Amino acid sequence: MKCERIEELLSPYLEDELDPEERRAVESHLRTCQSCAALLSFMKKTKESLASFPELELSDGLLDRLYIIPEKKRRFQINLDFLLQPALQPILAAATILMMMISFYLFNPNRQNINNSVNRQVHLGYSKIEKLYAKAESFTDNLGAYKDNVLVSLKKINPFGENED
Amino acid sequence: MLVNAYSKRIFNMAYQFTGAYEEAEDMTQEIFMKLYNSLEKYDFGKNFSAWLLTLAKNHLIDQYRKTKWEKKSRDDFNEHYLSAEASDRPEEGAIREESKKMIWEGLRKLSSEVRMTMILRDIQGKSYQEIAEIMSLPLGTVKSRVNRGRLQLAKILKEEKEK
Repeated sequence: MKCERIEELLSPYLEDELDPEERRAVESHLRTCQSCAALLSFMKKTKESLASFPELELSDGLLDRLYIIPEKKRRFQINLDFLLQPALQPILAAATILMMMISFYLFNPNRQNINNSVNRQVHLGYSKIEKLYAKAESFTDNLGAYKDNVLVSLKKINPFGENED
Repeated sequence: MLVNAYSKRIFNMAYQFTGAYEEAEDMTQEIFMKLYNSLEKYDFGKNFSAWLLTLAKNHLIDQYRKTKWEKKSRDDFNEHYLSAEASDRPEEGAIREESKKMIWEGLRKLSSEVRMTMILRDIQGKSYQEIAEIMSLPLGTVKSRVNRGRLQLAKILKEEKEK
């Protein structure tokens, strides 16, 4: 086997993960190749050194910073539980229906037709109101005329039977 | 509490990955902020520790890609490790200090993915299966990354010794 292939097998060799045939091939190569044997020795040293890195303790400053994270989060969290009150449910349902209607209008592809029909209905409403006003005005005029006639008639009546002359 | 149970593991992972103490402290804080924001997404059927380490790994590698902090040199090995080692593990004095320094510095030369795999496997001693779960990778890819990382570090050590 070539050194490149042996190098690939050194780590599984260290962990005893090679099949017997590969293991024999590696051991036979290591007996004749000083460079690969040295590499294996350095790999062992590397593995041992890494395993012996101690665990560091946290500084008090970092611990303080970590302990206040949940409090900070709670402080800035908006409590929306009040929205779940039963009393608010009809209001929320009405708001939902309103929103649906608005979105139906806003996202409808025939929005222009809706606008036209709404305009037509509004104009019809206006013209009806105008007619009502006109009728009300003529009724007021008639009432005024009746009032004048009544007053004139009352003046003409002589309650004591005296001559106007 | 989450901080008591996991902060040491996350901080050490961040320090081993970044090699910079202050950077690792900031990363730990950011990871915990992300953790509290994503707790609702946690699926209770899954292993919490693996889920948290995946979140930490993703954050560290993403930040590494954004800031490329590997361009800065890593902290001096003795700066934080020597004091911790002297008090915690005096029995390991046989392993030479110089090699450890070279390996610590050599971690900087590994790609972020290979470095993270090496940290999980050779520093934290996780099984290949656990690493595959944390890294969301097939088992074969994890093993080949570990092989590559060990070989690169061994070559760095060999070259330094032969100088």
